[in-house]
Amino acid sequence: MKNEIMLEAPITINWAINNSCNFACRHCYSRNDTHDELARDVLFSCIEKVAKAGVLSINFGGGEPLLHPYLLDIASFASGLGLRVSMNSNGWLIDAPMAATLKAAGFTKIGISIDSHLPETHDSFRGMPGSHARAVAALGHISAVGIATSISTVICRINNASVKDLVSFALDNRAGQINFHNFKCSGLGLSNKDELDLSPEEWKVFYRSALAAKEREKGIDVSLDDPIIALLGARDTSSMVKGSVCGKLSLNIKSNGDITPCGFIPVVIGNISTDDLRQVWRESTVLDRMRNKKPTGKCSGCSKYEDCLGGCTARALALTGDMNNPDPHCWGTEGSESESQ
Amino acid sequence: MLKIQRNPNVMWREESDALADAQVGLDRGDDIEEVGTAVLFSGGAMLSINLLGTEIWKLCDGRNMDGIVKELFEQFDVQEEVLRADVQAFLEDLLKKGFITHEE
Repeated sequence: MKNEIMLEAPITINWAINNSCNFACRHCYSRNDTHDELARDVLFSCIEKVAKAGVLSINFGGGEPLLHPYLLDIASFASGLGLRVSMNSNGWLIDAPMAATLKAAGFTKIGISIDSHLPETHDSFRGMPGSHARAVAALGHISAVGIATSISTVICRINNASVKDLVSFALDNRAGQINFHNFKCSGLGLSNKDELDLSPEEWKVFYRSALAAKEREKGIDVSLDDPIIALLGARDTSSMVKGSVCGKLSLNIKSNGDITPCGFIPVVIGNISTDDLRQVWRESTVLDRMRNKKPTGKCSGCSKYEDCLGGCTARALALTGDMNNPDPHCWGTEGSESESQ
Repeated sequence: MLKIQRNPNVMWREESDALADAQVGLDRGDDIEEVGTAVLFSGGAMLSINLLGTEIWKLCDGRNMDGIVKELFEQFDVQEEVLRADVQAFLEDLLKKGFITHEE
């Protein structure tokens, strides 16, 4: 009884509710983004609009969402409407009382950004001394009140060879999941690309190691969100979509209400305060192009194209100007066959 | 007999347009087995299910297998043993994927 289906609305909204932040991360995608924020009453009506459109979950991000003055009220309102509410945070502001408050506001899952098992490496990368210790403490506080925990790690030059250590660290801190996010070339991620990004061959080595950890470790969910792992034969049979999920399962909303396909594609396709979400989802020509990508270059004839669909659309667009171009992280060569793990 | 419950962690949604299409097809006598009418999400796992699957899913509210089959038998023009086999196979798949739970 499994079937193909064209969804009538996004399943998830990734909502960058603010862009203010207490950290200075070297890969931040939103550091130079708008600092305009929706007024409180507008935010409430937008949340209501999202719920009415049929969206099932909102993941708040930023900036650091806990710096938003109304985050708790907004989250509480959203969860009261039946939306599943989660958040990505740097953890700095989450002590035991805050964890209890977040639980009361309806948060069911919180991802804490930790980029290295080594405190000094993480603190330096995040531009905040002591941030590793506070992030680890936050994980404990969140877990103690019964909110599911995840560690979000952006893979780049500082951690690509530390898969085993990162997974052990996550297990030691009883995180339910470790999310290895692929490096995006947006914002400071683009400015600092040469220093932080890996070569295609290095990505291949990283993903081999990460997929082995995913297979090996049963006590934690090792999550990989990069479509190019299809080149290693890692096909997610439980997913309803191929390639990037952006624009197929999820959309991004910026702090000023602008709707973009994902947080790393700076193409505005509407605004949640003025537009009908379902109409944007159905009629956006940008989303249509993302859902119907055409293979170009080495993707043409690649045996894995139907699974990876050219890899990360955001990365292809940022680095080549054309979302149909092959993902610059792809290690495949013209006419090459991919390999199994 | 075991009570069958939807896992409360599963997010799910009926797709109204697809549901209307399936209903029209059903009334016309079309084969609508491949028409997805609802989506289920649990962790990273996703499932699109057809009209019969959707009706089974909605009935996973603490009833047992007999209760689900009885309710569906009144809705669908199908032999009871065929229906029971379909329901059983579908529920086994949902259980294996963690979308439902069994309670004594």
